[in-house]
Amino acid sequence: MTGDLWRRAAPPLVTFVLGVALAELLIRALDVSPLILPRPSAVWSAATSEAGPLLAALAATARSVLAGLLLSSSVGVAAAVALAASPWMKRAFYPYAIFFQIVPIVAIAPLLVIWFGYGPRAVVAAAAVVSVFPVIANTLAGLLSVDPNLADLFRLHGASRTATLWKLRLPWALPYLLTGLRIAAGLAVIGAIVGEFVGGGGLGVVVLGAMRQQRTDLVFAAIGYASLLGLALFAAVGLASRLALRHWHASEGGER
Amino acid sequence: MRRILAAALLVLGCASCAKHDEKLQLALNWKPEPEFGGIFEAERLGAFAKHGLAVERTGGPGAPVVQMVTAKQVPFGIASADEVVLARDRGSDVVAVFATYQTNPQGLMTHAARKLDTLEALLHSPGTLAVEPGLPYVKFLEQRYGFGALNVVPYSYSIAPFLTDPTLTQQVFVTAEPIAARRAHADPQVFLVAESGYDPYTAVVIVHGDMLRNDGARVASFVAALREGWRSYLDDPGPANAVMAPLNPEMDADAFRLAAEAQKPLIDVPGGALGEMTAERWAELAGQLQRLGLVKDVQPAASYFANPR
Repeated sequence: MTGDLWRRAAPPLVTFVLGVALAELLIRALDVSPLILPRPSAVWSAATSEAGPLLAALAATARSVLAGLLLSSSVGVAAAVALAASPWMKRAFYPYAIFFQIVPIVAIAPLLVIWFGYGPRAVVAAAAVVSVFPVIANTLAGLLSVDPNLADLFRLHGASRTATLWKLRLPWALPYLLTGLRIAAGLAVIGAIVGEFVGGGGLGVVVLGAMRQQRTDLVFAAIGYASLLGLALFAAVGLASRLALRHWHASEGGER
Repeated sequence: MRRILAAALLVLGCASCAKHDEKLQLALNWKPEPEFGGIFEAERLGAFAKHGLAVERTGGPGAPVVQMVTAKQVPFGIASADEVVLARDRGSDVVAVFATYQTNPQGLMTHAARKLDTLEALLHSPGTLAVEPGLPYVKFLEQRYGFGALNVVPYSYSIAPFLTDPTLTQQVFVTAEPIAARRAHADPQVFLVAESGYDPYTAVVIVHGDMLRNDGARVASFVAALREGWRSYLDDPGPANAVMAPLNPEMDADAFRLAAEAQKPLIDVPGGALGEMTAERWAELAGQLQRLGLVKDVQPAASYFANPR
């Protein structure tokens, strides 16, 4: 088990250490001004000396990201089920779902503040808006790719539409939904931080304030904390997907 | 390999050709507006050309001007005095050579209907304060007066929230947002931040320290031309406003005229030539920023600025 963990953790750790060392050397050798690119060692010292405020900001951002993801996954699944209900529904509404994929969140974030007021509600909305499309698209693909033989089997036994949905279509779409959630998790972090730029609170305000005060070390430290949040969410979705799928789906059962 | 060499040659070649045509870039930090009136007027009068300079404007809203000058991507830039002190504390060698606003034009705007008559009363009344996160003067005001029951939120360069919220206070340039608010039929009241004792020079021209040491004559010519531009603009802003207006459609001719009128007393102060700075004020600013914990060390005042002649 320890050996297995080591084999998984070693490669990314080695690339991290080498990458950081190389950046430190290059920035020192080229004598780059900290205003333009801070040294990794300066970023590390900002990340540790300002750990208190950074962790508080991280917690605020994390709450908004989780609420946004909860919103986008429930709305996204409901929307996908509705779109899958009939080819007519899909043709009529799916093109508009794509709006959520291309929406320039930076441009509409100030509007979210006008609609929802300053504070976490606007931030949650921004996180949800940018993360809903991968949930819709992936879940819809899952719902529409149900094995026709199994669908016939359900029909042959006279299963109701609701029973087919719960016992066949949704379970079939689950691996697709989980893939969508992995994409959505990273997007929700970006959405929340952009939302905080205008709505206030969290790492977004730390980044803006540090920029204004020309603390590039603190900017990168805040980005580091945001990446940790993204990694943690990615890992959490991965774990959920292993737990949910390991007994029956090739995507998680096959890795032995 | 050959392609890399060719690319390298191209880059080197271009670096040297840039030197040949002698265009000096000036990076602005906002859209063309009366804040830069003297620059446009100097261009219009041919003042830069008269001093043997070809100046080209670049930059705009959000341009990282201090970084651009630090990296010598542009020789001249517009910043504020507190940015100079912060940047020098972070190891950059930028130096101020001309200060447009002798009095800081930044302020806080709220609704006159609230009948608040001092900055202190404003900051102690419950309501929302919309300011860019991290602004040194906001930190100064908080330390000096305390923020009481204020809900501090980010400002995102739109007066729409101000127009709809009767208890909102926001950051402004006295030359911009209050004029826009009045024209949107609001009745704003503005308090200058300078009243609190925090009064950095604003819209200052910055250069790299190396440029000042190695090419001081050219910096002096630039400043002399700019001063001529400002003198003429203060006497009659009309012609330069007419040049700027098409470049900034958000402001119409009337807004340009009102802004130029509003800023005049902040630029043209009795005693001292236009744009000149004093060591006392730089020392005071650096001390204030140090007490706010924004800079570690106060440098000798003469390192922050020069009055080139």
